[in-house]
Amino acid sequence: MASPQDGLRQETDELTSPGCYVALTHAHLDAQAIMDRVRSPAAGAIVLFAGTTRDNFAGKAVKELQYTAYNKLALRTMMEIAQAVRAKHGLEGIAMIHRLGVVPIAEESILIAVSSPHRQAAWRAGEEALEDCKARVEVWKREEFEGDHGVWRANRDGIMGQKVDDA
Amino acid sequence: MTSHAPVKDDGGGGQFTILYFASAGSYTAKQVETLPAPLPLSKLFATLEARYEGIGASVLDHSLVTVNLTYVEMPGDDESEAVIIQDGDEVAIIPPVSSG
Repeated sequence: MASPQDGLRQETDELTSPGCYVALTHAHLDAQAIMDRVRSPAAGAIVLFAGTTRDNFAGKAVKELQYTAYNKLALRTMMEIAQAVRAKHGLEGIAMIHRLGVVPIAEESILIAVSSPHRQAAWRAGEEALEDCKARVEVWKREEFEGDHGVWRANRDGIMGQKVDDA
Repeated sequence: MTSHAPVKDDGGGGQFTILYFASAGSYTAKQVETLPAPLPLSKLFATLEARYEGIGASVLDHSLVTVNLTYVEMPGDDESEAVIIQDGDEVAIIPPVSSG
């Protein structure tokens, strides 16, 4: 495990603060690794959310998805969210990682792990962290459709994004 | 927007970096370029429209703007030119995000 992880680290941008970890990576996401970031003897629950890439938008076949980010700003926003959610719900830890580049269908594009003394706070915090990320983090998803142009998706309205001709 | 005084510039000849994300990058066919500074923030969209006809309605009207990683309000036409994009600043066009 040591040498592959050394390789992955180079393609990962991350920020940490007490009880908080946020990252962007071009590598495959590792659910076990992100859970271990929040593991704590004081915790009675870890809730893990894994967002995976869907093969269609409103029934239209999606060939693949590609994510880009404003890394510096996205990490800063993710850290703001992590710190706010951790404080609000009294979490032991929170860790969030988003994958960038081409993500094949059915693979994880985002992982969020939270730990807390009791499960109720962890459930709520996990959902809130995800919704805040989807609303605010400066990451963009482009869906490439079978036999058509790609479109940039917008989370805020769920409608088709703008077609792009440079696909 | 920088808090420090320009190092080498005395009011002309500088440049700022502008980053085009997602649909902004598709429209301009580039992810980054440099433009002349100083430039009043209130003139930014008109400057971009002059370079990329139609970008206002297609992209900018739905986007946010950051200067040096901070979101800024776009001044209206009748407002002062108080906010000036300075030499060395990093400006970004932020279309609606879609993480997750």
